[in-house]
Amino acid sequence: MLSTRDLVAGYDERTVLDGLNLELPSDAFTVIVGPNACGKSTLLRTLARLLAPRRGTVLLDGTAIRELPTREVARRLGVLPQSPLVPEGVTVADLVGRGRQPYQRWWRQWSEQDGAAVDEAMALADVAGLADRPVDTLSGGQRQRVWIAMTLAQDTEALLLDEPTTFLDLAHQVEVLDLLHRLRAERGRTVVAVLHDLNQAARYADHLVAMRAGAVVAAGPPREILTADLVREVFGLDCVVVPCPVSGAPLVVPALTSPTLAAGASGASGASGASGVGAAPSAGAPGAGPASAAGAPGAGPAPAAGAPGAGATPAAGALAGSYPSEGI
Amino acid sequence: MSAPATITDPVAPGGGASRLPGRSLLRLGPVSMQIRRRSVVVAAVLLVLLAVALVFSLSLGTPYVAPADVLHSLSGAGTPYDLVVLNLRLPRAVLAAVAGAAFGVAGTLIQSVARNPLASPDVIGVTQGAGLAATVALTGGAAAALVAPAALVGGLAAAVLLLALGARHGLAAQRFVLAGVAVAFALRALTEVVMLTADPIDGQRAQVWLIGTLAGKGWTETTWIGVTLLVLLPVLAWAGWALNSTALDDDTARGIGLRPAARRVGLAGTGVLVAAMVTAQVGAVDFVALVAPQVARRLVRAERPPLICAALLGALLLVLADLAGRRLLAPTQLPAGVLTAAIGGPYLMYLLLRGRRRSS
Repeated sequence: MLSTRDLVAGYDERTVLDGLNLELPSDAFTVIVGPNACGKSTLLRTLARLLAPRRGTVLLDGTAIRELPTREVARRLGVLPQSPLVPEGVTVADLVGRGRQPYQRWWRQWSEQDGAAVDEAMALADVAGLADRPVDTLSGGQRQRVWIAMTLAQDTEALLLDEPTTFLDLAHQVEVLDLLHRLRAERGRTVVAVLHDLNQAARYADHLVAMRAGAVVAAGPPREILTADLVREVFGLDCVVVPCPVSGAPLVVPALTSPTLAAGASGASGASGASGVGAAPSAGAPGAGPASAAGAPGAGPAPAAGAPGAGATPAAGALAGSYPSEGI
Repeated sequence: MSAPATITDPVAPGGGASRLPGRSLLRLGPVSMQIRRRSVVVAAVLLVLLAVALVFSLSLGTPYVAPADVLHSLSGAGTPYDLVVLNLRLPRAVLAAVAGAAFGVAGTLIQSVARNPLASPDVIGVTQGAGLAATVALTGGAAAALVAPAALVGGLAAAVLLLALGARHGLAAQRFVLAGVAVAFALRALTEVVMLTADPIDGQRAQVWLIGTLAGKGWTETTWIGVTLLVLLPVLAWAGWALNSTALDDDTARGIGLRPAARRVGLAGTGVLVAAMVTAQVGAVDFVALVAPQVARRLVRAERPPLICAALLGALLLVLADLAGRRLLAPTQLPAGVLTAAIGGPYLMYLLLRGRRRSS
């Protein structure tokens, strides 16, 4: 439903996105990943018409978003900015109610639909029990759910979120991502989020967009596109990609980059012994493990993802094989 | 009851969560308004206090008129005090109330937009712009009738200058207030120069104007301010609702379909217009626009100053300041601006100290 045509955008003199073309599928959870300053937030802000592009267009269901009244866009597209300012003393229900703004006028400040939408949004985001609490007294995780509830109250087909899990602990990150997944799976909403954690992106995304230096490097289902090569190209990081033992989604495990760390790991894996002979050589020779995984571009990660646990390369096999012994 | 107006508690009929904690819904046909219950109580109390203050203002003085006689005179019953109450004291008391309300409205609008309690028209240069223009008019031999229009233009010009300086980085930035304080200081310095180089008698008149006094003023000034507020009434009705979004950051506001920049210009522009008009009429009465919105906000416990309560509080403050100015050192009359500054100064210090404690 959202797409861009030759998008050029940036701040002041700095051009961040230079001629970007992208198609975001509807009814999917799209996750945008990339290194810091690669333009993923700029892309999200431009998609959400928070930032005006210098050239090119953002199309919402085929219409240039700049030509639609912003109020109408707000009924079709909800957006959660990166770190919204929490108004002092505003209660949860009040803040969630602000999401109804696109349906209100100064002479029509509340309707039955507004009430129903706010109730539903608070129930979905599991903040109904906090309705009377001031938002600035809540924990980070609760606050984030309140902001999501506010965008849900907007009752839009699509939801754009800029790093919704940053500053949250792991449990709260999972909570927020589960909520976004439910919105997509149970309510058929289109969700687009910028995330930092590649493994979370791989687990939750239906569609992954990897960006580097203002350009899209790869886009598609994570199980098809997330490879060690892609990670190296996008992040400049050596890694192995193995199937996640819990979800089967690709799991990115960074290579040992520090010689001292590698030495320690060698001792540890040698001591644990039971995890397999293959682990020692791959971990013990810094660079050798990743190199062997990387040495067969495409071949290593692809079978690993296709046949979980098959162990197409020694490194991937060792890592995959080591999971059960660690009791996960 | 035949009136179609209903006030309901917006709680789901099915017993859902309370949707608007602390608020009720006023319905009038297709019109629906959210009303903060605490605001209604505060406004009612302020109205009563304002009425009492007005009666005292009409009663105290030489000669003293008993409150009962004041009420009789007001009701048109005809008493020996009609001249004192209706012709001498009433115009000035009403002017104090209307001007105070206007200061409260102006302060609320500008402070909310800037999200800063210091951003009131008398701190950011609007008052000083009006003061400079009025001083030039008073010392330059311009006709008395030209002083108020000159002050109005001066106040608006200062606001335009400030917007030009501050607009680049957005009105909500700290820069906006700093730029305003700088503009205010520069204009005040210019005013001093004009006063010192002028004829001492003209300088003295300018000095009184700058402090702000209601002495010798009445219906004419009230009419100007009142008409301004009436003309702006539809805008103010919109503003009461639009101010709700000023506590949100720009991206969030845009996300829910607002145009925050346009909204800020509309709200701040309205505030500046009201401030310049009222300053042109009664002079540079300090601190009402600064204090009334902040006190009202604390009374109502809202995230931003409430428009109506701030107006009522401003009215109450100026009526009391004018009354105190008339009576404290009677027969010497102190300008109302001296009294408001005396009340406002300590309050400003309190705000600053509190802010420091919070940040430390």
